[in-house]
Amino acid sequence: MEVFAGLVGAILVIPQGITFAYLAGLPPEYGLYCAIFVTLFCSLLGSSSMMSGPNTAVAILIGTAVLPLAGRGSPLYIDFVFLLCLMVGLIQLMFWLARGARIFQYLSPASISGISAGAGFLIIMSSLDSMLDLSTFQTTFFYEKLYVIASDAGNLVNPYSLAIGLTTIASGYLGKRYSPRYFIIIAVTAGYLCGVLVAFVWPQPITELEYLGRMPLEWLPLSIPNINIEYLMISTKLIPYAIAIAFIGLAQSLVIVRELKMETDQDINLDKEVYAQGMANFLAPFFSGFAGAGSFNRTRANQSLGATTPLSGITAAGFVLILITFLGPILTFMPMAAMSGTLFIVGANMIKWRDIKHYAQVRSELIIYFTTFLCIMFFGLAAGVAVAVVLSVSVFMLHISQLELKMESANTGTVLKVKGALFYASVAHLTEKFHRHLDGDLTVDLQYTTHVDQSAVDFFIRESRQMAAQGTKLTLLINDEQRKFLERLGASSELELVSL
Amino acid sequence: MKISPVFLLVGLSFALATAHAQQNQPSIEQLLQEPFLDDYYSNVVYGYEITTNTQDNASRYVGNSLQCSNCHLQAGTQPDALPLNVAGMYPKWRAKNGKRNGIGLRIRECFLYSMDGIMPPEDAPEVLALSAYVTYLSQGQVMGAEPPGRGVPTLPDTGYDPNPANGRAVYLEQCSSCHGERGGGTAGMPPVWGLNAYNKGAGMNDIQQAAGFIWANMPLGNGKSLTHQQALDVSAYLNLQVRPADPRDSKFLKLLEQLIN
Ligand code: HEC
Ligand code: HEC
Repeated sequence: MEVFAGLVGAILVIPQGITFAYLAGLPPEYGLYCAIFVTLFCSLLGSSSMMSGPNTAVAILIGTAVLPLAGRGSPLYIDFVFLLCLMVGLIQLMFWLARGARIFQYLSPASISGISAGAGFLIIMSSLDSMLDLSTFQTTFFYEKLYVIASDAGNLVNPYSLAIGLTTIASGYLGKRYSPRYFIIIAVTAGYLCGVLVAFVWPQPITELEYLGRMPLEWLPLSIPNINIEYLMISTKLIPYAIAIAFIGLAQSLVIVRELKMETDQDINLDKEVYAQGMANFLAPFFSGFAGAGSFNRTRANQSLGATTPLSGITAAGFVLILITFLGPILTFMPMAAMSGTLFIVGANMIKWRDIKHYAQVRSELIIYFTTFLCIMFFGLAAGVAVAVVLSVSVFMLHISQLELKMESANTGTVLKVKGALFYASVAHLTEKFHRHLDGDLTVDLQYTTHVDQSAVDFFIRESRQMAAQGTKLTLLINDEQRKFLERLGASSELELVSL
Repeated sequence: MKISPVFLLVGLSFALATAHAQQNQPSIEQLLQEPFLDDYYSNVVYGYEITTNTQDNASRYVGNSLQCSNCHLQAGTQPDALPLNVAGMYPKWRAKNGKRNGIGLRIRECFLYSMDGIMPPEDAPEVLALSAYVTYLSQGQVMGAEPPGRGVPTLPDTGYDPNPANGRAVYLEQCSSCHGERGGGTAGMPPVWGLNAYNKGAGMNDIQQAAGFIWANMPLGNGKSLTHQQALDVSAYLNLQVRPADPRDSKFLKLLEQLIN
């Protein structure tokens, strides 16, 4: 069972590895090494049947991070990619040390879907490059690119390339009807055959088609990342990206793991998964791979085939190694247009109408979704991730800083019941209520309050002094734990505390 | 930032314009010692490494067992042996497609024909690195002026047609010790025909051009020892041997032809 699931995982990951390497600006073999070694280490060190490996968002971010520093795919570029992946691994390991897996629960599902949809859009745009064979120009915004294409299509677009790309996409969508799991394989195969046919009739000097080319594959592609002062100085520019990649990578992996935990009875430890992903990314550069993260579609396939242990990931890594040694020579004449056709399908699949309908029910969710999506469209993935984090956290903050306050008159004076967390952000809310109540004794009932922080205690002390000056009294109804906290802050001398 | 060919060309003309200020650029040996190189020089070094060891450094697009430096001798620095210090000669105007064809296209063509491989895309890292290397070698040259010793010498008309039969005799006597009796090369020596050699579309498959190269450079270390006629003869002989097909021919039309005949 596990072994068969591993084989399917391996077949699925090969086109992904190659295309995501293209997104990351690296030669294809690096994507395959990522598919082998990141999957392997993540499964070896982790506890779940999650399939890790090359990941779209991570690949795009690697590309945008390193491109300003060196020419795409040049040796210097690869050096920087390795450095970046080391940093990503280290940052993720720091998350592990800080037991930070919890942080990712604050990233709302709407923003994760928004990021995914935005990444899908970026993938579609970059698939146009090699589908239309536009390799030589660079635009800042997507609409410029569309405009340039539309205004000079006759000169810019390579018809052979376009034909192969369209064949790939069409057969992908046809294939999806019949085999929702393997349609990517169907698409790639159709694109390849179309490419063979084109190459048979028209020679390359006429078609100018781009091919994948021979991949210099090795079984154990050991490499030592270049680290010296100059590299480190320059790579400080990569730190924000390293943080973004570490964050988005872990966020995706953990969403997958959490779903697995809910849906299956695997014994999963979130912190251990963080450790596994961090180690895998840290080790990747030593095996000529780049960083990765959990993959939704491969984990799904894996799950539906009945895999429940990390063994499937380990066998998948082995199968990739075996498969590519046989497929390598065939893949040489794989047209890049077929590869980008599959990228197009992958990207289009990431923008889900179902998600939009789902989030449309709640306005704040829909706003998060679209803001994230639009930010990515216009400012890139890193900016989008940052916005998603800020938005999720602020919505979360808004929610928890809401207090439920209820005034009741009792024979001892007014009683104020406080429900929610009492901390610096929510104290303001309480202040308003306090100031509206001006006379008479006041009792504040804190038994439904989940949290009381120092600023709240300071507030109570200040208020009680003021009230004492007016001859009224402030009483707090508290539980034992709150009493301990209040006494430590020296509030017992200033306030009337009544235990429940 | 993606380095487009246009960008390279701008950089290139700039490099040529400021050539005087930069006469003493670091040598390749110096560059190889450096622990860290900027984008340009790291590409130069990569281009140099591709030229001398194409099999390992640009294997993606190579289809035979040659290296660039097998024809562009001394890593493209030897006059009369297709030197690569020709950045100032590009882009070339070609009326046919109304486009200016840069050094990139020339490099890609050598991959397709001389290396019997796949034509890399214009922005392939290998092509950009080789362009950088060509720019580096061309430092100090005057833009548009033909560098001395460009290409191979053109042999004067000997008055006789090249004779492959004589060429075979010359080959067996002078060349086969290194290139093998069957042209497949020997250890450390490149093949001159067979499936691992340049294909029928290559510049080397042109009798005049190959004769110029052979006369000036072969037998290696003893160039210019053959007579012009001998060089033409041996070149005609090489031209008749089996080698990979011209990639410009459509396989489909070939098949049709065979079916009809
Ligand atoms: C089989 C021999 C051979 C090999 C191998 C070879 N070339 Fe060439 N190259 C030639 C010949 C012959 C010419 C001149 C062709 C012509 O002008 O028609 C040439 C021309 C060139 C030129 C233009 C020179 C000029 O004077 O304008 C460049 C640049 C070049 N080659 C680059 C390369 C690169 C890069 C490689 C390795 C990937 C390579 N060549 C491998 C034979 C070769
Ligand atoms: C001493 C050994 C030697 C002899 C003799 C010799 N060559 Fe070469 N030849 C070489 C080497 C080595 C190279 C590659 C140059 C390099 O890598 O620096 C070469 C390159 C070539 C090339 C271009 C590369 C290729 O493989 O297509 C041709 C053509 C060629 N030789 C033809 C000849 C002919 C014709 C003769 C006889 C007149 C001859 N050689 C004699 C050693 C030799």
